[in-house]
Amino acid sequence: MAFAELYDRHAAVIHRYASRRIGEAADDIMSETFLVAFEKRESFDDSVDDARPWLFGIATVLLSKHRRQEARAWRGLVADGLAAPRTAGGVDRPDDRLDADREVRKLAAAIHRMPARDRDALLLYAWGDLDYEGVARALGVPVGTVRSRLNRARRQLREASGRDASAEEVEHGRESGRADAAPQGA
Amino acid sequence: MDVNQDELTLLRKVRDDVAEPSTTAIIAGRAALLDAAAPRAAQATRKRRALRRAGWTSLGVVGAAGIAAALVLTNIVGLAGWRGGADPAAADTLTSAAVAAIHNADPVVGPGQYLKIETNAVGIVQTSTVDQPGRFISYELASTDQLYVPADKNDDWVWVRPASTVYKTFGAESAQLARNQVEQQTKEFPNGDGTLRAAAGGFYGSPAVVSPTALAALPRDPHQLLNQIYRMTLGAGSGPDSEAFVYIADTLRSGIVPADLRAALYRAAALIPGVSITEKQANLDGRIGVAIGIADGPVTRQDIVIDPSTGLMIGERSVYLKAADGLPAGTVAGFTAIRTSVVDSAPAGGTLCGDVNVCSGSAGK
Repeated sequence: MAFAELYDRHAAVIHRYASRRIGEAADDIMSETFLVAFEKRESFDDSVDDARPWLFGIATVLLSKHRRQEARAWRGLVADGLAAPRTAGGVDRPDDRLDADREVRKLAAAIHRMPARDRDALLLYAWGDLDYEGVARALGVPVGTVRSRLNRARRQLREASGRDASAEEVEHGRESGRADAAPQGA
Repeated sequence: MDVNQDELTLLRKVRDDVAEPSTTAIIAGRAALLDAAAPRAAQATRKRRALRRAGWTSLGVVGAAGIAAALVLTNIVGLAGWRGGADPAAADTLTSAAVAAIHNADPVVGPGQYLKIETNAVGIVQTSTVDQPGRFISYELASTDQLYVPADKNDDWVWVRPASTVYKTFGAESAQLARNQVEQQTKEFPNGDGTLRAAAGGFYGSPAVVSPTALAALPRDPHQLLNQIYRMTLGAGSGPDSEAFVYIADTLRSGIVPADLRAALYRAAALIPGVSITEKQANLDGRIGVAIGIADGPVTRQDIVIDPSTGLMIGERSVYLKAADGLPAGTVAGFTAIRTSVVDSAPAGGTLCGDVNVCSGSAGK
């Protein structure tokens, strides 16, 4: 495998994921992920088309050494919401800022409280853009385990935001679209 | 943003606007990878080295900072002191402040009493615009919080967080946006976050980042303290020295740092290269002190403002060194001014998350 090619294709994606979780140390995570990948290249299954889950798995281990920074970032979001410097939450219209702010604070509080393994599964799915299979490969656990971790994590998010927590647990297939534009009531 | 959107959709928008990796970082990471991959001979030894390197940071890529980081992490040699220290005038001021802090012992918080920390803080709010991605409208909001820390730190802490007010705006668009924002916020939450109450300071359902327990565990020897700070902040921020200084500023501004640790933090700051006096007569929230700071990346500078004659921490601030984010050079991007006193009682009432219900299953609106 040409590692330079692998790097060129995926470095920015790994960086983006790391940056959303821990901020500025993302440069190091990006670089280290590929160094570790190179060291472990024998463990990569060539029959798999997509190297992303494998790379995200390595990045997840490296990120776990930055728990304190991550905790600080989540707590900052909880305490100060979108008013906290450099934690903008992709707010589109100023009028919606207040609602978005409160929602994001609730969400951040729930994610901050979550066990690390649930948080990893959730963020790989939501931010890493991996499907269930991909998250399973990244974390080295069965797909069923991913499903239960994600269900638990999403239930906590819904409870935190005051939505009906007993809503049916549905796997959101990538085929059905990201549904970002389609608000879904609980 | 639609409030009724599902939780994953919302989560996908959180921190959606993080910066792309810099070209420098991309090139450096690529070079490090090629360097590790290239020589097929000497594979065995090379492999081991690359793996160790992967453990901390991209050595050689970040240069001196990386080597320093390695030394700090392996704890063979401490980083504090051997690369020089702060500018002599800044070091003198910090040393005087440390001596004064020890000399003027903190007021004692007796049983049933509280340490009251009044914080006047100003922070910048940046809102992205819909039609021009990447353009931000900025304004500054002020908040005045009062934190009551009980004599027994495990008892209930009380935190009063009233609504924010507009502090400073930058142009008509900014003024309009700031006014709308505060009006809307005040309409729904006239008292801001209101009164919070939590055992051992666990507000919003999570433990305090700066806690008395954590502070008690920090070394009082300045060299050891600074080395520990370098270890704790490794990889964060714009560089090891600026991040260590930011850590010191963050810790001091909590207002709960006891005099002996405050003195040690001043002395530790005096050991950080690049730290200098940035303003001899700095006015922070109406109080005059000496501003001591360090560049935190290419755009901003982090200052602490102290009174060297009493050893008191007046506050901290972040200053724009050059025009950026729609703000002129010299803009104070945010500051925290603290005043501490001992009081006999704390306000009654309060819940884990106050008036803003961000805690699941807890009291609140």
